Amino acid sequence: MKKNMTYHKKKVWVVFLLCILMLFGLVGRLVWLMGFRSDHYYEKAEDLHERERDIKAARGRILDANGKVLADNKTVCTVSVIHSQVKEPEKVIRLLSSELGISEGEIRKKVEKVSSIERIRTNVEKETGDAIRKAGLEGVKVDEDHKRYYPYDTLASTVLGFTGGDNQGIIGLEVEYEEVLRGTPGKILTTTDARGVEIDEIGESRVEPVNGGDLRLSLDISIQEFVQQAALKVMEEKQAERVSILLMNPQNGEIYACVNVPEFDLNHPFELNTGEDVSSMNTQKVQELLNRMWRNPCLNDTYEPGSTFKIITMAAGLQEGVVSLEDRFYCPGYKLVDDRRIHCANRRGHGSQNFVEGAQNSCNPVFIEVGLRLGVEKYYEYFRRFGLMEKTGIDLPGEAGTIMHKMENMGNVELATVSFGQSFQITPVQLAATVSSLINGGKRITPHFGVAVQSEDGKYIKELKYPSRSGIISQDVSEKVRGILETVVSQGSGRNASVPGYSIGGKTATSQTLPRSANRYISSFLGFAPAEDPKVLALCVIHDPKGIYYGGTIAAPVVRSIFENVLPYLGIKKTAVPIQEGDS
Amino acid sequence: MQKEIQERTGKMDVLLLVLVLFLTVFGLVILYSASSYNGRVRFHDPAYYFKKQLFATALGLGVMYAASRIDYHVLVSWAPAVYLLSILMSVAVLLVGKEINGSKRWLALGPFSFQPSEFSKLAVILFLAWQIDRSRKKTSGFWFMCRTMATLLPIVGLVGSNNLSTAIIILGIGVILIFVSSPGYVQFIGMGAAGIGFVAVFLAAESYRLERLAIWRNPEKYEKGFQTIQGLYAIGSGGLFGRGLGSSLQKLGFVPEAQNDMIYSIICEELGLAGATVLIFVFALLLWRLSVISMHSRDLQGTLICAGIMGHMAIQVILNISVVTNTIPNTGITLPFVSYGGTSVMFLLAEMGLALSVSCHRKIKPAYDK
Repeated sequence: MKKNMTYHKKKVWVVFLLCILMLFGLVGRLVWLMGFRSDHYYEKAEDLHERERDIKAARGRILDANGKVLADNKTVCTVSVIHSQVKEPEKVIRLLSSELGISEGEIRKKVEKVSSIERIRTNVEKETGDAIRKAGLEGVKVDEDHKRYYPYDTLASTVLGFTGGDNQGIIGLEVEYEEVLRGTPGKILTTTDARGVEIDEIGESRVEPVNGGDLRLSLDISIQEFVQQAALKVMEEKQAERVSILLMNPQNGEIYACVNVPEFDLNHPFELNTGEDVSSMNTQKVQELLNRMWRNPCLNDTYEPGSTFKIITMAAGLQEGVVSLEDRFYCPGYKLVDDRRIHCANRRGHGSQNFVEGAQNSCNPVFIEVGLRLGVEKYYEYFRRFGLMEKTGIDLPGEAGTIMHKMENMGNVELATVSFGQSFQITPVQLAATVSSLINGGKRITPHFGVAVQSEDGKYIKELKYPSRSGIISQDVSEKVRGILETVVSQGSGRNASVPGYSIGGKTATSQTLPRSANRYISSFLGFAPAEDPKVLALCVIHDPKGIYYGGTIAAPVVRSIFENVLPYLGIKKTAVPIQEGDS
Repeated sequence: MQKEIQERTGKMDVLLLVLVLFLTVFGLVILYSASSYNGRVRFHDPAYYFKKQLFATALGLGVMYAASRIDYHVLVSWAPAVYLLSILMSVAVLLVGKEINGSKRWLALGPFSFQPSEFSKLAVILFLAWQIDRSRKKTSGFWFMCRTMATLLPIVGLVGSNNLSTAIIILGIGVILIFVSSPGYVQFIGMGAAGIGFVAVFLAAESYRLERLAIWRNPEKYEKGFQTIQGLYAIGSGGLFGRGLGSSLQKLGFVPEAQNDMIYSIICEELGLAGATVLIFVFALLLWRLSVISMHSRDLQGTLICAGIMGHMAIQVILNISVVTNTIPNTGITLPFVSYGGTSVMFLLAEMGLALSVSCHRKIKPAYDK
């Protein structure tokens, strides 16, 4: 046995001191990690443990010009069960089965499934959800949610649009104003373990959602309702395929009504409005039909405007000075353009007439002549200056562009046909906006629905602004155009649109759809009142009417009936002496 | 001389005993906190790990008491047999070992499993004490060092084949005991330099070891740095005073196997810098008592045994905390008395018993010695 020497002790001491030194080093390391770097790691750990659950923000409502609610939110509930918290599974199964009308077996499967949370049903009515919550069974969760609700069902369906499963806009204004309406979702932060199971003891913290803003429209539900009825009436009478009517303020572009019948039910946007049986169709076919139903033909589709487009030729000719009101024309029933004989609607010819009479008669040769006097380049220049080559900028998605000849491909024949509104296509809203600009003194306006965004209590209001461009024609020419169009209604082809006591301007149109052989027509009428100072402009487009298809015969009366009611409604006074009497 | 050995000439080191009992209880409390989530998730029993550890601790306390009553000279005289037994058990592990978590480190004994590598640490301490005590020649020579280290090679090789960390601990214990037993310092500096060189070559030889280094430098960038990062999140989010006992979030499956090597990070998260420092202080006190007992031992055997035990404790505590705080690259070393592991806690308590036995037999009256 050996004795221990002094150096043994010394060396043990050395080892001990070295260890203490290293432990000191480690304490220093801990001070660094837990003192100085603590916030960094704490935050990272927090990110790891916290789970975010969004609280949906209430979507902003859509209001009409008078504050009536067109799109609202309904509270619906989502019922789920949390397996680990269910204490009385039998009671839960019985309650949910009776309240929700689902078979006990189906609910049992979900209740007995070992999962963190099992969703039983969504979109449950609030009363049902309240009843389930009132029963107070542990492990049953009722979450409230907002669902879009449209109180007027079909009214302005293609304008308002609807929302999808996540409450996001799918078509119409709901899409266009998505950002305004959506709001900012709030958050519920909960702490979870590594498997994602929430730790109840810690509780949750909330970030409140910011609700979406209400959108106020220029659309007036009373006008819209009336216009829709007028459209339905003419569609039924004429067995037309569809009817679109646009009513707007030509001074600022505010749209009062935009009807496309048949409309569809916004509360059931996935059901076809034709009542067709979809069970036999494949999903692609059904989707195609739905997409067609959701279209807004006023701006998603183009058409040949026909004679209503003569207003544009008229304005361009007058502005350029190639024609005056007194200029005389002779119509033999056709006009020869580069060897091509282009017929007038009246094959027998209108004979001798001045320019105003030509407009009243809607005489094609007169306007061909004006077009030819302008020439391709000038005509094209006015086409562009009037804003016809661009989209109108209406606040709805999917606006179609103009389909027009390229200038270099335009010969006299093309020019001649364009002059009376054929061989090219524009959208109805483009025609309405352009004519508005020509009769309001030459200010190109942007047609629109949205007027203001406001808070729910109406305290905070942000007016929406739209671009406009003045001077596309002179005041003087604009006045002349209004005057000519007034005589079209008072003495010419638009006679059927006249309303006693009001001076009304307008233009009829009848155009054939392509292919010409199908003998399908589009009858339309564009009218405005009062003729001297237009406050309302209406465009009625009837697609494929059966029987008589002349715009002056079937479309003009529709506008008349609308004006008869809407003009007094808008507070437009009757003139003391009706112009019709003064003229005769 | 025989008579002198039999005598119990001193009192038991009460402070050491108090420290050991404190660590044992503290370890059990923290283990319960750290393991309850894993126990609940895997075995539907939050106390699953705690119960097993409690059983091993109870057994260990019994062993500690027994070891403290037996004269350590008797135990040293059994050292060759003990050492041989540990080699045999290590061989057995290689042949018929039970695999847990992908490592073949356990021997199954009915319902219990036993980790021979834990036993081999104690065996090496006893064996070296016996060997150095027996060597007649001077203990300062290079030859002595080599020969002594050579006797450890079989167990280092056997243990190291599946448990590198324990092999490093055994080597460390060997180095410390040789250092204590030889009077010089210079050759150890050379040895240290050689050791560093060896480590460098060892790391460079295999690319996956270099990868470990890369993970150590920048744990967030590597998938394998996950454990380290989770440990750091736990430590960092503890702050000065922690989330409170039992309130760790990182133990909820984020730190993998929170009850094992990474348990210190949970201590940091729950008890904060304050608690973590106090624990280091308690370990420091333990090392201090062990070194005092070692220095006051009457003979070289007692000195070496306690120095070995101290070395063992120090290496594990320092390496474990270094790994958890990402001060050194990751290697699997448990925290004595706290980390889950029945064999470990049992033999640690046995070692403490041995140290207590040495303290009992220390000389109080210096005059009695000669």
